[in-house]
Amino acid sequence: MRSLNRDVYIALLLLGITCLYFWETSNIPDPGYASLGSDVWPRVILAPLFVLCVAYLIQSLRRGRTEGGEPFRFGVFFARYRNPILCFVIFFGFLLVIDFLGMLIAGIIVTFLLLSAIGDRTPKAIMMHVLVSVISVGLVWSLFTFVLRLYMPEGELIRFY
Amino acid sequence: MIFENIGLAAVEVFHYHNLMLMLIGVFFGIIAGAIPGFTVTMAVVLSLPFTFGMPPISGLSTMLGIYVGGLSGGLISGMLMGIPGTPASVATTFDGFPAVRNGKAGLALGLGVWSSFFGGLIGACVLATLAPSIAMIGLEFGPWALFSLIIFALTITASLAGENMVKGLIAGNFGLLFAALGAEEINAVDRLHFGFDVLSAGFAYLPVLIGLFAFSQLLGDIEDPKIARAPLMEKTGIKVKIEHWAAVKAIVRSWPNLIRSSAIGVFVGVLPAAGSSISNILAYDQAKKASKHPETFGTGDLDGIIAPEAANNATAGGALTTMMALGIPGSALCAIMLGALLIHNVVPSPLFISEQPVLAYAIFTAFFVAHFMMVGLQTFALKAFLMLTSVPMYTMAAVILVYCAIGTFALNNSEFDMWTLFWFGLLGYLMKKFNFPLTPVILGVVLGDLAELNLNRAWTISDDVSLFFTQPWSLFFILLSLFSVVFPWYQKFRGKRSWTLAFIPGMLIVQSLPLFMMGSIIRAGIGGFMVALALWLLWRTAQRGWILEPVEPLGAKPTVEPA
Repeated sequence: MRSLNRDVYIALLLLGITCLYFWETSNIPDPGYASLGSDVWPRVILAPLFVLCVAYLIQSLRRGRTEGGEPFRFGVFFARYRNPILCFVIFFGFLLVIDFLGMLIAGIIVTFLLLSAIGDRTPKAIMMHVLVSVISVGLVWSLFTFVLRLYMPEGELIRFY
Repeated sequence: MIFENIGLAAVEVFHYHNLMLMLIGVFFGIIAGAIPGFTVTMAVVLSLPFTFGMPPISGLSTMLGIYVGGLSGGLISGMLMGIPGTPASVATTFDGFPAVRNGKAGLALGLGVWSSFFGGLIGACVLATLAPSIAMIGLEFGPWALFSLIIFALTITASLAGENMVKGLIAGNFGLLFAALGAEEINAVDRLHFGFDVLSAGFAYLPVLIGLFAFSQLLGDIEDPKIARAPLMEKTGIKVKIEHWAAVKAIVRSWPNLIRSSAIGVFVGVLPAAGSSISNILAYDQAKKASKHPETFGTGDLDGIIAPEAANNATAGGALTTMMALGIPGSALCAIMLGALLIHNVVPSPLFISEQPVLAYAIFTAFFVAHFMMVGLQTFALKAFLMLTSVPMYTMAAVILVYCAIGTFALNNSEFDMWTLFWFGLLGYLMKKFNFPLTPVILGVVLGDLAELNLNRAWTISDDVSLFFTQPWSLFFILLSLFSVVFPWYQKFRGKRSWTLAFIPGMLIVQSLPLFMMGSIIRAGIGGFMVALALWLLWRTAQRGWILEPVEPLGAKPTVEPA
């Protein structure tokens, strides 16, 4: 089965984003006193961007259809990109819980989860992951908090300051 | 005045606190450069959260230490493992690795270290002497030329993406767009936020840079589960003692190679966007062509080690020259340095050296001093690197990912910045997957505001668009931009299509036009020389009967197996 190459889809997506931003430039208020309105520069960027996206689309269409290998299967996709996907999911979760757990605890947990998700999960490895998480995040957190005097989110669970 | 500035800068740079920070920077730079998968750029990006709270001179000195250390650190893994630690050391592996396998590990490493040192010093001298002169020329630019210069920086960066030039240009434009989102400073108007208040302030560019470069790079490094879990290097039992004296003697004997390679490095560095990943290969290629025994290249030839290592460190001097003299980053790394300067409210421009002489000369001095530190620390860093090699990549990646988050938060005490890091990390990762170059985005993000500011200034002075084409320097950069857009086709069809024979002469003739318009005898003379050179090139090609000569691809690894 032959299908459009992926660049065609990306070009269409980029064209869509460009058009969306172009439409949004019409919502930029005119301050009335400016020699060059605030909407001009974004349009100066978006006009060539539109042309480039069209060129990219034409270039991709000219390349023709690609021989579609196996149809998309989530299992195969996940197996191939397992580590990056897990990293994104864990990091996303980290950003969600940071207000509750605080930077230190959330940082230690997320490091441990990342290490255990990507690395080995033998008892020895798990112990090592705990140690690495506590020591590394603890050190960086202490450095920022006590040496550089930058206060990290402390969360609602434990109050440090 | 110059000596007074140098003196004041030296007092700051040689302060023990600053020297300690530089030592730490150089040490970690060497280690980071030596680890395959970690780039110098990433190391400098990761230092941002620590350095932004420091005084400008301390922060920049530390970053310069990492920069210099990272450039020379790449040679360690390149020679010991055959895997270049950074793209700046690709050509070093061609002869460095065979030399180590031939039992000359100590000499090979010594050559790498000392070539980096001498190349760096030559780059530093060029930086200190050339940057102020170029900055004087830059004072003539005006907003039209500065705007055109930024456009040129973006187009040449995109054109270096090769066959992906359209993608490079799209990436550059998106970089400009990211910089334009949110609060606009000139008219104090919020824009392009789609009604979301959280977006009305726009994105801070440092989380964008850390996300695009560091976050996405780390995810790429751990993509393959086997590689992620394997130690950085298999146990080799290597115990190397760097042979400093023998290396210095070999380099002195090969001084034409050192000078030529350093000159190539500086020249490539001065060009916007062309960095040490190009210069090391170019210098290696030229060293091979100039050698009396080119057949020995690829078997552990000493000149094949000297050339790339001298070139990559010299490139840093060239790249810093452009950044400091014109405010245009010569590479992605310089774009990050420029971003660091902006944090401290220092805007690099042609006025930078005259307005901030102490800071400017401190940068020159720190760059110079960092090379001495690099030589001194190389032995310790080598030992530390060999100890680190048993650590699996995933451990380092996980720790650094969380460090990125903590560091990003620390930049502005903003959780939104961590979300920026996350989304731009995802974007950077996808861009790499879909073969979009990252450097144009970075340049676009860093230069976007500057471009808008100069466009606004130009428009305020006159709404006559033709000034962009009639102001000589502006025309000069616009013409260069056009040639840089055509350059990928020139590279592709060189030796295959007859029009490529006229490309360089044509470029020389066209570029001479704005020089004649400048109304100076010296510049008209340079223009005349360019025309004469173009005519001579055309005459020489005509004499050869307009024959297309096949061009060997640059950077091809020598096929000779080591003895």
